Amino acid sequence: MLPSFDAFGFLVSWGTFLGIYAILAVSLNLEVGLTGMANFGKVAFYGIGAYLAASLSVYAVLAVYHVAAAPYTTEGIIALGKYGGASPALDLGIFAASLVLGFIIAGCVGYLLTYPTLRVGPAFLGITLLAFGELLRIFLLNYQPLGASKGLSGIPHPFLWIPDPVLRERLYVLVVLGFLAVTLWFAERITNSPFGRVLKAVRDDEVAALCMGKHVPRVKATVLFIGSGMAGVAGVLLAFYMSSVNPNMFVPAVTFNIWAMVILGGMGNNKGAVVGAAIITFVDRILTFITPNLGITIITPDYVRWMIVGILIVLVLMFMPGGLVPEKPIKTPAWEAVESLEKESKEGGSGGDEA
Amino acid sequence: MVNMDAYQVLTAVHIALIYAVLAVPLTLSYKTTKIINFVHINFITYGAYAAVLLYTFLGIDNVFVAIAAAFVIGGAMSVIDNVTVFEPLSRRGANVVILMIASMGLWIFYKYLMYSVLDVLSRVAKANLVSVLLRFETLPRVVVNGMPITSAFLTAAITAAVLALMLYFILEKTAVGKAIRAIADNPTLAEISGIPRGRVVNVMWFMAGGMAAVGGVLWAIFAIATPEVGDTLILQVFAIAVIGGLTSLSRTALGAFIIAFAENLGMAFLNQVFGVPTSFKPFITFSTLLIVIIAFPPLGAGGGLPYRFLRKRR
Repeated sequence: MLPSFDAFGFLVSWGTFLGIYAILAVSLNLEVGLTGMANFGKVAFYGIGAYLAASLSVYAVLAVYHVAAAPYTTEGIIALGKYGGASPALDLGIFAASLVLGFIIAGCVGYLLTYPTLRVGPAFLGITLLAFGELLRIFLLNYQPLGASKGLSGIPHPFLWIPDPVLRERLYVLVVLGFLAVTLWFAERITNSPFGRVLKAVRDDEVAALCMGKHVPRVKATVLFIGSGMAGVAGVLLAFYMSSVNPNMFVPAVTFNIWAMVILGGMGNNKGAVVGAAIITFVDRILTFITPNLGITIITPDYVRWMIVGILIVLVLMFMPGGLVPEKPIKTPAWEAVESLEKESKEGGSGGDEA
Repeated sequence: MVNMDAYQVLTAVHIALIYAVLAVPLTLSYKTTKIINFVHINFITYGAYAAVLLYTFLGIDNVFVAIAAAFVIGGAMSVIDNVTVFEPLSRRGANVVILMIASMGLWIFYKYLMYSVLDVLSRVAKANLVSVLLRFETLPRVVVNGMPITSAFLTAAITAAVLALMLYFILEKTAVGKAIRAIADNPTLAEISGIPRGRVVNVMWFMAGGMAAVGGVLWAIFAIATPEVGDTLILQVFAIAVIGGLTSLSRTALGAFIIAFAENLGMAFLNQVFGVPTSFKPFITFSTLLIVIIAFPPLGAGGGLPYRFLRKRR
C-alpha cells in the first residue's frame, strides 16, 4: 500500500507542523482558556507573521543583490532561487529579524484591535476578529506588491546554505521545537504567576475582577498582545518552512483547527493544548501520506476530515468539557498549606478512630 | 463626476432587502437565547441549495415553492441544533463563549456536510452543482417609468414584506410572540411565570432558521449559489446585526439599509472618484462595523461591561 514509507522523514515533517500548531494552540489557550476571550481571528495574526517574514525576506534578498525584478515575477523568483543560499549570514539574519518583527507587529495589531472590541463584550470580540481575519485575506488577495492571489514564493530557508536538504529539515525541526519549548515555558510562567490568576479571575467573573480593582480591559489587551505575538512567530516559522505563502493558506478554517486542538486538549491547560495539537497534526500528516494512495473517491477525504473536526468540537464540549487533560488548580504556597492542613486533620481523624 | 443612476439605487435596495431578511433572524435568536449562532451561515447556504436541488432534480422553477421548502429546511435544522446541542449545553450552565464555540463546530460540520453531499449529488446528476446560476421568472418583469424591475427584485420585496408582517403579527399579537419577548427580557422570570421555555424557544428557532434560509433563496436568485454563499455573507450579516445592537429588530433592518447603501453606492463613489478597486468592498463594511462599535457603544453593547465609565475615572 505504502511502497516506501520514510518513518524518520515522517517524524520530521510531523514535528515541524506539531511545533508550529502547538505554538498557536498554546497562545490561543492563553487567550481563551485562561482569559476567556473568544479569539476567532487567530489566523489573521498567523497570516501577518507569515506574510511579514515572506515579504521581508524576498525584498531583502533582492535588494542586497541589486535585482530590479519584483519578487512575484518569474525573473524575481529565478533570482531568489539563484541568490537564496549564497550567504549564511544574510539568511540567518533575515530569519532572526523576521521572528522579532513578527512578534512585535502581530502583537501590536492585536493590541490595537482590542480598543474598539473590548468595551462590548465577548461575542463582539469574536465577530470582529473573525471579520478582521477575512478582511486581511481579501486584502492580500488583491494587493499586488505582496503577490496578490499567487502569493510570494522563493522565501530563502534559513539553512539554505547547507547543501544536504535532509539535514536542513532536521535542523529546522529542532529550531521549531526549540521555539515551542520557549513558548510553553513562557506560557507556564504566566499561568503560574499572580498575573495568571488575574486572568483566571477575569475569565470566571469579569465584574468581580473589576470590583477587585483589576483593570480588565488592560489585562485583556495585554493577553491579546502576547497571544497575537506568539501566533506571529508561528506564522514566521511556517513561511520559512513552506518557502512560499499565499492568501488561501489563511482561511478561517485554520482558526477552527486551532480551536479544535485547544478544546480537545482541554481549555485552560497549556499541556492540553500541546496534546491536542499533537493529535490533530498527527492525523493530518497521516492523511496527507494516505490520500494520494486512495485514488479517486466519491467524497473528497478533506471534507470528511473537516466534518469530523466540527462534530468533534461539539461532542467534546458536550460530553467531556474538560478535554483530554483537564485544568488543575495551581499549587500556590497558600494552596499547599491548606492541602497539608486538610491532610493533617484527616490523618488526625483516622488516627483517633484507631485509638 | 459621480454617476449614481437609478439602477444602482435599485440594486442597493434589493441587496438591503435581502440583508434584512438574513440579519433580522440573527438578532431575534441572539436576543432570545444569547447565542451567537454561526450555524446561521449554514441556514443561508442550505436555503440557497434547497432551491438549487429542487430545480436540478425535480425541475421546479416556482420560486415560492423553493422559499417554502427552504423555510422548512432551515427551521428544522435550527430546531434540531437547539434540541441536540444548545439546550443541553445551556442547561449545564455553559457561558456565551462555550455556546459560540459549539455553534462554530456545527458550522464547520454543516458546511463540509454540504460539500460532501454535493460531491455525491453532482455525480448522480452529472451536473455542476458547485456554482449555479438560478434565474426564476415566477413573477413578471415590470417596467416603471422606463425602469425595468426584475423578477428577483419583486420576489425579494414581496417576501421581505410578508416576513416582516408575519414577524410583527407573531411577536406582537400572539401568545407565543409575547412569550418569546418575555424570555428575551428575563428568561428566569418568564419560566417562573409558567411559560414553557423549551417549547417557545423552539418556535423562535424555527422562525429564525426558516427566515435565514429564505434569505438564502433570495440571494441565490439574485446573485449565484455556491457552497460558500453563506460564508461570503457572514461579514455583512454580523455587521448589520451589531448595528442593531443584537437587540432591536427594527434597528437591524435599518442597519441592512445602511450597510447595503454604504457598500454599493459608497463603493461606486470611491471607485469613480479615487479609483479604489471594487474588490475592496468588504473594507467599507468592516469600517462601518468598527465605527458603529466605537462611536455608539450602547448600540453595540450587547452584554459588555461599561468600560467607558472605567476609562473616564482613570
